[in-house]
Amino acid sequence: MRIARACSSYRAAANARAAKVLQVVRLIPRLAPAACAELLSVDLTSERVERAPYPLTAARLGGVSVAVELLSTAIGGPLDPLSPENPLVFAPGPFAGTAVPAATKHAVATISPLTGRLTDGLSSSHWSGALRRLGLSALIVQGARANWTVLAIDDTGVRFLDGTALLGLSPAQTTQRLREMLGGRHWRVAAIGPAGESGVRFATIDNDGRQAGRGGAGAVMGSKRLKAIALASGTDSAFEIADPERVQTISRALRERALGPDTAKYRVLGTGANLRVLQRMGMLPTRNFSSASFEGAERVTPERAREEPEAYLERRSGCANCPVQCEHMYVRRTGDRKAASASEYESVWAFGPNCGVDDLDAVLDAVGRCDAYGLDTISAGGTIAFAMECAARGLIDVDAFGTPLRFGNAAVLAPAIDAIARGEGLGETLGLGVRAAAEAIGGGAEVLALHVKGLELPGYEPRALPTYALALAVCTRGACHNRAAAYDVDLRNPGQLLSDEARAAAVIDAEDTAIAWDALVLCKFTRHCFDDFWSEGATLWSAVTGEPLDPAGLREVASRTWQRKRALNEKLGWTPAEDVLPVRLGEPLRDGPYAGARIDAASLERQRWIYETLRS
Amino acid sequence: MTIELFGMARELVGVPSVRLDVDEPVPLRSVLEELAMQYPQLVGQVLAPLTHAPLDPNVVLLDGRRAHGLDEPIRDADRPCLLFLPSGG
Repeated sequence: MRIARACSSYRAAANARAAKVLQVVRLIPRLAPAACAELLSVDLTSERVERAPYPLTAARLGGVSVAVELLSTAIGGPLDPLSPENPLVFAPGPFAGTAVPAATKHAVATISPLTGRLTDGLSSSHWSGALRRLGLSALIVQGARANWTVLAIDDTGVRFLDGTALLGLSPAQTTQRLREMLGGRHWRVAAIGPAGESGVRFATIDNDGRQAGRGGAGAVMGSKRLKAIALASGTDSAFEIADPERVQTISRALRERALGPDTAKYRVLGTGANLRVLQRMGMLPTRNFSSASFEGAERVTPERAREEPEAYLERRSGCANCPVQCEHMYVRRTGDRKAASASEYESVWAFGPNCGVDDLDAVLDAVGRCDAYGLDTISAGGTIAFAMECAARGLIDVDAFGTPLRFGNAAVLAPAIDAIARGEGLGETLGLGVRAAAEAIGGGAEVLALHVKGLELPGYEPRALPTYALALAVCTRGACHNRAAAYDVDLRNPGQLLSDEARAAAVIDAEDTAIAWDALVLCKFTRHCFDDFWSEGATLWSAVTGEPLDPAGLREVASRTWQRKRALNEKLGWTPAEDVLPVRLGEPLRDGPYAGARIDAASLERQRWIYETLRS
Repeated sequence: MTIELFGMARELVGVPSVRLDVDEPVPLRSVLEELAMQYPQLVGQVLAPLTHAPLDPNVVLLDGRRAHGLDEPIRDADRPCLLFLPSGG
């Protein structure tokens, strides 16, 4: 009620003003209560722009719950994800732009061109903070332009700029060029690269060197001929924190913990350190999931670069207002420092073990190429691994990229990525993702396509991680490891026998927990920095907004958001038949500690049925 | 007994595995105490200051399974390793 009253008083005053000035003028003044925020709607076709109150209530929280709510309202039924009708929603976290560490983040949601279902991703850093400081709870972009366009948004309104001159540029180059054009580094830019322009279905949206968009949000943005969204806001706080002292106290404690052992593996080593551990545990998917152990793991682990400082230069990077700074970037000392590539586990795994490649330099180059083109590394690597196996079976030309398309051939990564991003030759087919590419290739290629609902699998072996396997099958986004960290249940007790009921309940808990994190939009790398996340998360949200929220309320939002995700997918045509795992996972692992482990389709179906019962 | 090290444990000790002079079978607790004594840099970072139990997200795996507790007797043949639970982003 307090939020509604406060917001309506601003609205009444501002509506009169808006009619005289610009329809896009900010309704809520700076230093309004943090919960008073607005929805900015931009129709690219008609150039209609609206700002309307859309407060961050305790029923919405922020981030992914807001994005999913807006998408659910905007979509009435099945649609072509690459048509103007597909909305693209950006929703900042409620703590973005505050002192809360590792929380300057935003959610991106749209209908995926890979899956035809909801895809909700996260990104971080300065662009997220700018979105929040502009007084927005969300930005929804609909329609499409006839010509390539840039949206420039600041407190004075929204401008439609010609983006033609930016075509072909990487997101980083686009950012630099736009800053020159708009006049300053205070402009924060989210952009697509050439892959988004050419409609690659796993193209990402990049901001500040971070990427969102597993599932192809970048292709959706490209289909709207929207090259970039530039934001400018003041760096001063744009809203009033309800209990600044409490927020400072909690933030200080979180920051201290985030600099301690709880995040050491991310801070000191980076997620690339997962590779050695998963190899040791026999859970490292290798050569398109034909094995769970890679003999070249030691040669391709990013830790090797860290351990050879005489050979590699390390650059550290991270998101705005995050003490963890988890990004470890490497380049040969003989190379260009600016060419250092990110070394996140999933990316290195996708081009390393999954393609059978043990050449760290080639893998880092592949990751850097994907970032420059605006490609999702997991899907790109998964698609190339799929193509390597198709070539081995004679289904496609082994010389399609000028050098043999074979497992272990490091030299083929670069030309394959280039062709995918540019939509050239076989690259055009692979740019559809493994599901659609397999349909196009035919000849039984479907059994080589490792995906769930069209989204390529990430780098954990589901046959060794049965709770994670169920979570992958039922995930509303497809094969995403971040919408439920259910692998944690299995990793904490490898080989543990759980009842189907317990496994289904664990997946639901993992999903709801992930949604709560994604609604508050806190970095999950700080998960161990909370003693009781539900209580502390609710307290933090209340301290920022001034609105009451308890742990039960936080859980309720998470559960309701999951229901919305499922309902949205149902509107788009989802059926339970989609909640299955790839055929290959039904084959037993041949080696390692989990030799013989396989996904039994009947058992998975039983677990899925229990999951549905518990969910309903 | 040889114990393999991964992640922060390897980073702090500087080698991929260490050899501990203990009589087998030996309770896991004693192995960790010996480890903490030889490599005090692990304490507070990977091992708890008082109990020397692995600090979350670090764990000890034996033959690919989680140790049942600090009192579990272990042998070299169990191939113990001190590692962290992988997680992605």
